Amino acid sequence: MLHPGKKISSDDDTIVAVITPPGEGGIAALRLAGKKSLALLLRFFQPAHAKKIKFSPFLLRYGFFQSTEGGIIDEITAVYMPEGESYTGLEQAEIFCHGGCRVVRVILDELVRAGARPAEPGEFTRLAFLNGRIDLTRAEAVADMVAASTEVSLKVSREHLLGTFARHIENLRNDLIKIIADLEASIDFPDEEIVAPERSELLGAIDDILAKLNELAITYTGGKIIKEGYQVAIGGRPNAGKSSLFNRLLRQERALVTATAGTTRDYLSEWLDLGGIAVNLIDTAGIRVGGSTVEKSGREKALKIFKDADLILWLVDLSSRGWKSRLEDDLKYLDGKLIMLIGNKIDLVKEFKKDLRAYPGIIPVSCLDGSGLKKLKSNLIKNINKKMPDLTSGVVVTSARHKQKLEQAIEHVKSARMKLVEDESPEFTAFDLNQATRAIDEITGKVYNEQILDEIFARFCIGK
Amino acid sequence: MTGKDFDIIVVGGGHAGVEAALAGVRMNRKVALVSMDAAKLALMSCNPAIGGIGKSQLVKEVDALGGIMGVAIDVTGIQFRRLNLSRGPAVWSTRAQADRRAYTRFISDFVANQRNLTVIEAIAGEVLTENGRTAGIKTEDGQILTAPAVILATGTFLGGLIHIGETKIPSGRMGEKAAYQLSDSLRKLGFEVGRLKTGTPPRLDGDTIDWDKCELQPGEVPIPFFSYRSLYREFEQTPCYLTHTTAATKALIIAHHKRSPIFSGQISSTGPRYCPSIEDKFFRFADKDTHHIFLEPEGNGTNEIYPNGFSTALPEDIQIKAVKTIVGLEDVKVTRPGYAIEYDYCPAYQLKPSLESKRLPGLFFAGQINGTSGYEEAAAQGIMAGINAVLYLEKEPSFILDRSEAYIGVMVDDLVTRSTTEPYRMFTSRAEYRLTLREDNARDRLFEYAQKYKLIETQHYNSFKELQKNTLEEIKHLGKITLSVNTLEGFKERFSRSRTVNLKNLLKMPGIDIETLLPLIEKHNGSFSANPEVLQRAAIFIRYQGYIDKQAREIEKFKKLESEKIPDDFPFASLKGVRIEAREKLRRYRPVSLGQASRLEGVTPGDIAVLSVMLKKHKGDRK
Ligand SMILES: Nc1nc2c(ncn2[C@@H]2O[C@H](COP(=O)(O)OP(=O)(O)O)[C@@H](O)[C@H]2O)c(=O)[nH]1
Ligand SMILES: [Mg+2]
Repeated sequence: MLHPGKKISSDDDTIVAVITPPGEGGIAALRLAGKKSLALLLRFFQPAHAKKIKFSPFLLRYGFFQSTEGGIIDEITAVYMPEGESYTGLEQAEIFCHGGCRVVRVILDELVRAGARPAEPGEFTRLAFLNGRIDLTRAEAVADMVAASTEVSLKVSREHLLGTFARHIENLRNDLIKIIADLEASIDFPDEEIVAPERSELLGAIDDILAKLNELAITYTGGKIIKEGYQVAIGGRPNAGKSSLFNRLLRQERALVTATAGTTRDYLSEWLDLGGIAVNLIDTAGIRVGGSTVEKSGREKALKIFKDADLILWLVDLSSRGWKSRLEDDLKYLDGKLIMLIGNKIDLVKEFKKDLRAYPGIIPVSCLDGSGLKKLKSNLIKNINKKMPDLTSGVVVTSARHKQKLEQAIEHVKSARMKLVEDESPEFTAFDLNQATRAIDEITGKVYNEQILDEIFARFCIGK
Repeated sequence: MTGKDFDIIVVGGGHAGVEAALAGVRMNRKVALVSMDAAKLALMSCNPAIGGIGKSQLVKEVDALGGIMGVAIDVTGIQFRRLNLSRGPAVWSTRAQADRRAYTRFISDFVANQRNLTVIEAIAGEVLTENGRTAGIKTEDGQILTAPAVILATGTFLGGLIHIGETKIPSGRMGEKAAYQLSDSLRKLGFEVGRLKTGTPPRLDGDTIDWDKCELQPGEVPIPFFSYRSLYREFEQTPCYLTHTTAATKALIIAHHKRSPIFSGQISSTGPRYCPSIEDKFFRFADKDTHHIFLEPEGNGTNEIYPNGFSTALPEDIQIKAVKTIVGLEDVKVTRPGYAIEYDYCPAYQLKPSLESKRLPGLFFAGQINGTSGYEEAAAQGIMAGINAVLYLEKEPSFILDRSEAYIGVMVDDLVTRSTTEPYRMFTSRAEYRLTLREDNARDRLFEYAQKYKLIETQHYNSFKELQKNTLEEIKHLGKITLSVNTLEGFKERFSRSRTVNLKNLLKMPGIDIETLLPLIEKHNGSFSANPEVLQRAAIFIRYQGYIDKQAREIEKFKKLESEKIPDDFPFASLKGVRIEAREKLRRYRPVSLGQASRLEGVTPGDIAVLSVMLKKHKGDRK
């Protein structure tokens, strides 16, 4: 028998994850869900005033997170929710600590070492869905909302949740249904007085849909940024000041800064909020993209990072001799990527303005005294915004799955168009358009075949 | 059960009842067919035609399962043609005008000659049960007939009420009685009973029609017969004619529409949108000034004409006036008035896909009682109900065709998963796997089943296997014959790259079929001898191959969900995590598989995901 009271968890694990956006922030939150949530919380929680404390549901408690070794890691507040009354439907505990990366990481590590399993992306929402706390049509949007780290992505997720996106898709679907109805009417009612639409008319309608589908699919460039953040890689020759810029932009001492060339062996990345967009800033190893170098593994990694990046900040040490020819060299290898050129160490070069006259694209900065950084930031934001879709409508594709379905629909519509051009029998064109409709249906999860007949009966007088 | 009178009792001698009874007999069961008049079986109450788009596919499927409909129309048809010939073979549909009286006579005689089949002239009044199972029926005149399986195929006779203008006549068909007690019996057994409406046009005296004013519609030669069992014969086909209504028709009908029960409120049940009354048409499509009317002969040896497209329930005097405004019908004599008829039906969500009721084991429903319209739809359900009644008696798994196998599967699935809002009619657009479900391959799709259930003669099965083998060989053969592109007058432009092309590739191209190719082949490659049937089958196969492969992948996905069966005892009522609307739907329909559940209106993929998880859990818990 089914036990209506029993909740579903992925297995019998208790899962844990940080639920606040990465990067800086005043307070970070961690969530535990599963049978051992309360037990795990009690194991690390040290009350501020009493020796022992009882957690009552939904009551926020103040205290400290004490490591297994006994040291206090952070000042925290925590709350416990019993099974059936939490977001996931499972027993749940939440810990609020200070937002620094290190603190959060240590707490997470402690909980995992004590037996919690790191949650898969979206697992909390999946549990919430499976336990009937939310339905799937909204689950995706909720998952995005939860993951949304900045204002812009929050707005888009909210629009999805409100159904603007779904409505737009629905309209596209209706456009398709109209064409299909024309074709189907001519197949199912050939003896009737139905005036079959001209081929040119159908072609026009199909081109219209294609344009709309393409327009929507394209918003994924922006949608992806909203959802996954904007990848900015800092590149340049060793000692150009990449790590210094990285730290400057994050306004914190994070990356390792050294005076000897080539000490940033691997790469570092951090999130920052630039004008409402989550930007993932990556400090790469110092490389000579063209020449050979001892830091081979770092170099390969960097090349891959450059390839995947949405934008590259390419740093030039203006105080080094021969930077011009080296730059020309390096640029050849970065062809086709979106690059912002930055001339660093202007504090060391008195004549930098004269030097840069021939290079108006280079933004002069000093990572030492911070001059020029404001302009750099505003240019960076401008560049990002260029890639962003028009958000006023809220109709942005943010999911790779949706994008894939749209692309499938586009392929089917294109194929239908070809059939029409070749003057192929309408059941083939209808076949492709029906496939397209089904691809679209997989986005919204709506399937109703009757709609085509409804459309036919509403539009045409049929009946002998 | 001992002392039973029959294995199966079929109630109703229409198209569904006849196929059901004959299927039972074919499977060696003792069957009773309860009908008011043993000489009026499978009567065409409305339109004197069989087939048409979507429907011909059903007829061919019934034929492949050993049914009688295809043979009966082949013998008694007076005009045959195929619709949609300008389109691809997937949507070709055969349609035939029948000699109405000959058709009924043929079937009545055929039934009368069956051993094991007894026709009982009576009206069924009650379904009898014993220990929660079907036990037989009681007729309105008090006879008790026992059988462990009963098939209800009552057509429009259940609670039939005819409307002509303000006049109401309790009747199942003009001039005939209806059945009134049976609906009550069903309600008492807990069935939901609803009401639907349909209509029929007046009939005309052909001698009073000015045929010169109408457009001739001849039959097709060679004559496209329905059944693989029919031998080709040629005869003089009777033509149909096309005419149209005039401005005067519109004016008259609009002036008097209030006297139609459809508009006066006397009828509230819904009629089919695809077959509206003429008064409906003028209102729903107000900007259309005229409508086509097809004049169809009712048979040889009668002058009666069926004006297809002029269904009406207006008072008789208005009907007569209105008909005379139609071009060519200025002096026409009306032989019988048109009418609308309301009747009881049982919404088919109460059925399993086997057409057995969920509520009462052994009670099957087929035809109009399930909310369908059309002889072909009825016949198809009849044959399925008949086969499944036998399987029920044998405690064997039901015979269920799915949506990827047959139009029958599409129809039954639609019926049991959708709520009926109007009488259900088959259309090709209902079949998502339309390119796979064709008239021409009904036997390819169904003959294995027919053989398995012993519905056909082994000799027919064997010769079809031979045909299939030859088709495959022909396909290979066509791939080996090449033509020089230069010889392809009219198609040359399409081949810019290659200088030769093989026939198989050529046949894949739009606008090229075997008829256009034959003369070319003969001209340049000498004689080309192939059995025309084999050649045609091969050509169609080649034409659709690419699409069928594409569809096959979809069908595979579809079958996966279909094969996830939901056990009878699954507790839909305590299902958590789905939306309330979905839970109510699931409770009401009690789907038998995840696939069926996914097609219920108001059940989203999210609900299915939950259901799927719960189902696994349920099965795990029971182990
Ligand atoms: N004077 C001056 N020194 C800088 C500036 N930016 C970086 N440096 C110094 O240059 C050296 C290399 O910097 P680092 O950020 O490690 O370079 P990377 O190898 O490109 O990551 C360090 O000694 C920095 O202090 C600048 O704007 N002005
Ligand atoms: Mg560095």
